Amino acid sequence: MKQGNMKARGRLGPGAMYHMMMLPGILFLLVFSYVPMVGIITAFQDYIPAKGMFGSEFVGLKHFTYMFKLPDIAQVVSNTLVIAIGKILLGTMMAIIFSVLLNEIRVKYVKKSVQTIVYLPHFLSWVVLASVVVNMFSLDGIVNQMLAFFGLENINFLGSNTWFQPLIIGTDVWKEFGYSSIVYLAAITSIDPGLYEAAGMDGASWWRKVWHITLPGMLPIILLMGVMSLTNILSAGFDQVYNLYNPVVYESGDILDTYVYRIGLVGRQYSFGTAVGLFKSVIGIVLLMSANQLAKKYTDRKIF
Amino acid sequence: MRTKWSMKSKRLTKRLAVLSMSALMVAALAACGDSSTPPTAEEAGKYEVTPGDPFSAYKDEITVTMGRVTTANPKLPSGDTYENNAYTRLVKDTFNAQISDQFEANGEDYSRQVSLAIASGELPDMMRVDSKDELKELVDNDLIEDLTAIYDQYATDNIKQIYDSYDGRALENATIDGRLMGLPATSLDSAPTMVWVRQDWLDLLGIQLDADGDGAISLDEVEKTAQEFLERDPGQSGNPVGIPFVNTMNTTDYNGSAYTMLGVASTEGAFPQYWMNGEDGKIVYGSTTEATKKMLGIMADWFKNGIIDPQFGTRTFDDITALYANGQSGIAFGPWHIPDWGLISAKQMDKNAKFSAYTLEDADGKVNVAHANPSNQFIVVRKGYEHPELAVKILNLFYDKLANDKDAATTMPEAAKYQETGVDGSTRPFNIEVNSATSLLDDYSDVVRGIKGEISLDEVRTTESKNNIGSIKTYLNDMDTDDVTAWSKYHSRINGVGLIDKLTQEKKFEWMTPAFSGTTASMKQTWANLTKLEQESFIKIITGSEPLDYFDTFVNNWKKQGGDQVIQEIEDEIASKQ
Repeated sequence: MKQGNMKARGRLGPGAMYHMMMLPGILFLLVFSYVPMVGIITAFQDYIPAKGMFGSEFVGLKHFTYMFKLPDIAQVVSNTLVIAIGKILLGTMMAIIFSVLLNEIRVKYVKKSVQTIVYLPHFLSWVVLASVVVNMFSLDGIVNQMLAFFGLENINFLGSNTWFQPLIIGTDVWKEFGYSSIVYLAAITSIDPGLYEAAGMDGASWWRKVWHITLPGMLPIILLMGVMSLTNILSAGFDQVYNLYNPVVYESGDILDTYVYRIGLVGRQYSFGTAVGLFKSVIGIVLLMSANQLAKKYTDRKIF
Repeated sequence: MRTKWSMKSKRLTKRLAVLSMSALMVAALAACGDSSTPPTAEEAGKYEVTPGDPFSAYKDEITVTMGRVTTANPKLPSGDTYENNAYTRLVKDTFNAQISDQFEANGEDYSRQVSLAIASGELPDMMRVDSKDELKELVDNDLIEDLTAIYDQYATDNIKQIYDSYDGRALENATIDGRLMGLPATSLDSAPTMVWVRQDWLDLLGIQLDADGDGAISLDEVEKTAQEFLERDPGQSGNPVGIPFVNTMNTTDYNGSAYTMLGVASTEGAFPQYWMNGEDGKIVYGSTTEATKKMLGIMADWFKNGIIDPQFGTRTFDDITALYANGQSGIAFGPWHIPDWGLISAKQMDKNAKFSAYTLEDADGKVNVAHANPSNQFIVVRKGYEHPELAVKILNLFYDKLANDKDAATTMPEAAKYQETGVDGSTRPFNIEVNSATSLLDDYSDVVRGIKGEISLDEVRTTESKNNIGSIKTYLNDMDTDDVTAWSKYHSRINGVGLIDKLTQEKKFEWMTPAFSGTTASMKQTWANLTKLEQESFIKIITGSEPLDYFDTFVNNWKKQGGDQVIQEIEDEIASKQ
């Protein structure tokens, strides 16, 4: 064991190369994820930037007590959960359905074009897309014109607490389903074609093949992706919500990230913002742990 | 198992080492920040051509970075920018100082930029902050220069007189612990919030407003007019929209009251967001009064009947201005100067556009208004900037010399041209106004007498008034002129300030003097939430998602979530001053 190690070190074998390639990633992680963690202590202080983290006065759990006294927090957490879960469920379903259907297309040219077209929105930022969405869904936008054409009542989507969450979830699914279907397409191609041939011989219909071969074949990946997305459950998409919401829909659209941003950074209550952020991280860790257990239970594979 | 654990613990040690190292780095960086002492006037003199002179240039070119408050600026000559225009070139020519913008933004975006600059500690050399709160925070964080000595040394007599016309209130507001920490904008009474109505549409539809000609109309008249505009679409936009309002809804500054509900509030004698004197020395928050509830009742009815823009709450400030430009809406609530920067876009799109200004009266025919709080805009100078006196010099240049120099057209031709053509004042290095307390009506009287030829142009006090006289004469000669500056100056001065002058002379104003302005200790933690609570509750009531009686729930919540505490603190502070 020891000898082997020495050898690898001596001639910088393939293992060393891989480790070198990891270096930028690790540095990135250190600088942007680990170093900022020091800032957590400001949650327990009345933080004043000039005095710094080591000069500001410690106030214990003051900001946490205040946070739990605020009626808004429950609302904000529930908005975050509803939006995030909606995105995960619907997004996964759409991606699976899409990849199964796309896999059936035999003309390569058509398949590639469709793929490219549905990937495209993923690469546009919400800053750009938000103005498109606002234009389409405003009272004189195209969607309302269509509703009017069919004799339906106009809906102020961006100013309605009933419609804002579906709008957020729907537009996000539309933007991302193409890109997330890549993984599922890969999963489908790894299924042994022999199974389909055998099923065909036995007279299985297309639907039966999908149900009994394709979907079971994809299951491990589906579960893995689902479990991994659980860790994102408290990140409902800052840039999307931030660019689309307004005070009318704070009630249904304000999520933890926008709340922390508005109250903490713009309102310059750094310590309070950090406290809410920390609260979010703690829940995130709990979910990550449970997700890991779930993964072990269902796929017999631990993520870490 | 054991090896695994030891590897893990090794990794842990390494991580801890990295963490503590980075912590050290942060501490070291923080320490680097605070190592400067403000230069004295003598020290500043070393760099100057004529040391200590209020208008002295610098021997070697210096640079100054700024945070700038911008606005839509249709009159800006093409090729000119906020960073490089007649005014910034004037600074360069006069002081040998080059302005470079660290950030440019408007509205909420600007406040955000300031917040981010404070949070990161990377302030521009000079910038405007828009609240006492921010000023205090900058002082607490030791991020800005003490300007006391520099102001005494460098400010011209005219500038000092302007500030002194507020009996010390202006400078006092910028003074913390006896030190002048910012150059304050002045805030003169510029009430009321007016109702600007498309006069050409009224003529077209044969509607007559303000039959008694006292300049004040009732809420009913506004409602009926809005209804007519909606039904008959005189702008032929095909898509008329009711009266738009901003989603911040109210303000304690008439000067910034564009698209707010302050006008509607005045008909019920309500003063939302103001701190008022209640009975037996108690302090009352204006947003929690019965009068405000009545105002919300009116707004909710209006919303239900489509008098208010159905997209109320979701439109941004610029969206609202666009409604007037597109001829979709013809009734605007705003201050006297709204034609200069907002309604002017309607004239640009439709050469027939004309607006009349009215104010709203209450049931007894009185116009309820509040006295101005001291201004909450301050120009601050970054701690450690080598030439803090430049801020005072820029103040001298723009608010004394350029404003009062009778020969500006020859000594500063380019800047004078800007003023004449009405390029928006936001292109000046500091986007603030510094005027004496009586200047609004003084200037109006100059303008009116100048137009009538009762005084010569040389007797007119300010360069701006002189330009306005020229513009307004152009408009009076040809009311269909394509000269939008002539149009806007006539509207803002004659229609706008003229209305204020008339109401003042006829003693129609019922003044309320605010009991308090500024912030208290607990507001730091609770105010952001209380503001959100107010904004959300009001929007819900107006849009009808909660009934009017929800207002009582709001008041209870407001008190419980920290409002009572804030009131207590204000009462204590007032008591301690007496």
